Amino acid sequence: MREFGWIAVVFCAVSSVLYASEEQALPTWSGNERADLEAKGWRLGALLLADDAASEESAKALATLREAESAKSEELVEDQKPSPEIAENFLPAYFAERPKSFLVDPQGLLSPSEYRDRLKFLEDHGKDSSIDLFVYLIGGEQEIPGAVREEEVIERFFTSGRPATVIFYYLGAPQRSALYLSPSMTDLVTAAQQRRALESSVKHAFESTEPVEQFEKFLVQMSIRVYWMEPKSPVLPAAPEPTQAVGAENKITGKSLILLGATEWVKRYKIPISGVVVIFLSGFGLLRWWTGRVRYEFPVFEVEPRLGGAHAAGVGAVISFASAGLPPALQRDQVPDYLRRA
Amino acid sequence: MKCPRCVQRIHRAASSCPQCGFSLADADACFGAEELRLRCLTDTSGILRQGDRERVEVAMEKIMRRFPQVFVAIYTGSLGEVANIRQFGFWLLNRSAFEDVPLEKPNEAGILLTIDPSSKAAGMVFGYLLDPFLTEADTFECLSRAHAYWLEGRYADGIVRALHHLDGILRQRSRHARRDPEHYERKVTPPAKMGDLVRRIRAGHRPLGVNEEESEEVVR
Repeated sequence: MREFGWIAVVFCAVSSVLYASEEQALPTWSGNERADLEAKGWRLGALLLADDAASEESAKALATLREAESAKSEELVEDQKPSPEIAENFLPAYFAERPKSFLVDPQGLLSPSEYRDRLKFLEDHGKDSSIDLFVYLIGGEQEIPGAVREEEVIERFFTSGRPATVIFYYLGAPQRSALYLSPSMTDLVTAAQQRRALESSVKHAFESTEPVEQFEKFLVQMSIRVYWMEPKSPVLPAAPEPTQAVGAENKITGKSLILLGATEWVKRYKIPISGVVVIFLSGFGLLRWWTGRVRYEFPVFEVEPRLGGAHAAGVGAVISFASAGLPPALQRDQVPDYLRRA
Repeated sequence: MKCPRCVQRIHRAASSCPQCGFSLADADACFGAEELRLRCLTDTSGILRQGDRERVEVAMEKIMRRFPQVFVAIYTGSLGEVANIRQFGFWLLNRSAFEDVPLEKPNEAGILLTIDPSSKAAGMVFGYLLDPFLTEADTFECLSRAHAYWLEGRYADGIVRALHHLDGILRQRSRHARRDPEHYERKVTPPAKMGDLVRRIRAGHRPLGVNEEESEEVVR
């Protein structure tokens, strides 16, 4: 068996040597074939076909091409870089008048469906809340032109009408957002509250990296924060009714405000009135029951008897109710007994 | 507190008024020294109708239930021209035995409202238990709540109103007394005598770690 093994090894070695000596050379291209291909305009793989001189030329050509391409891409980048300020043609749409919708996006930064969704959200917020939420949507790297002052915009367009929170939101850069309140609210909502609302909304926005999702999260949180501002602003005027007298809102008393707030709350959370009444009555009954069961104790101190009285000497007040024309204080009897008898 | 006769302030533990010399013995001489047996609601003048009596009893029971140590008594009657309602109240609370009050509630825990419809006067007296917690001003507040009703002859309404206000005052005082009993204790504790004061100062200067026996030995 060992002999057969040696024979097999020797055979393999000899056959491999023979195969190596018989290996065919690589194919070479003839000059005619190359000319034919070039005549047909076939350029792909030209480098493979080129000889040394040709490859040098083509390398130069390639380098030139790359330079040209790189130059073009730089130019392209230069062209694509947005101007820092909002284009002038959009400014009237942004700042010429009070916005007709809650979401102002004349540049079309959002797709139509995204715009529709966000606008629907803001409209729903406006229905539920007594404070509207307006959003000016601006590109992430854009700037509001220096000629436009945000405070002035708020002052001009948001002094009348429902109270509003106005946001300048930079799409993709939520941290640049700015919050302004309509003049009727500025005294009622503190600067700290405004800052916290904005910070919280920005924080929520950064839960996502996608600009549109960031915007969505920002709006949701801001809407919640605007709800929170409501109880802190009890004198917010309600939406003016067409038939309502101009000064009617000034007649809102504290009691009606509470009632108004309660009604609003019930409407917002869709709680049935009967449920509220039942809860209120149950709470009242429970309170009465509890207060009825409470027992009050007095600590017992040792009091030395006075005037010979074993049980009492705590003489209280005496009042006369003889005259209806005099108040009780003037009918308090403080006259000594001996003077009265006299 | 004030003397029922001269309405002057008297000090603690005075056996008789230092200004006029009044004591219970004087009242006994006027109204009698025997013990009276009464019910909590005694309407000798007949100013309360049946329905009125029930309402007043409900108001009285409410206070007695809420304040288990305390009871309320009401007496209506004509005292005549010579009697003084303040002295009469003082005498009545000291000399009466209220039949329908449990024995565990002595007269010290009583609050007596006296109404004289003839002379159109009403007064309130309270026992020693409530001495630290009620003042003359409190009782006047209660009576003044009833004043408007009594002017119209609606005695029951006035009594209920007065008791309702009394209930509020007692609740407030009880809560406060639970939080700060020392405040009320100070009102009835006799003032420290000079000897006590010196003893306390000496005790305060005693060196630390020296107990009573050691200090006594040192003295010896």
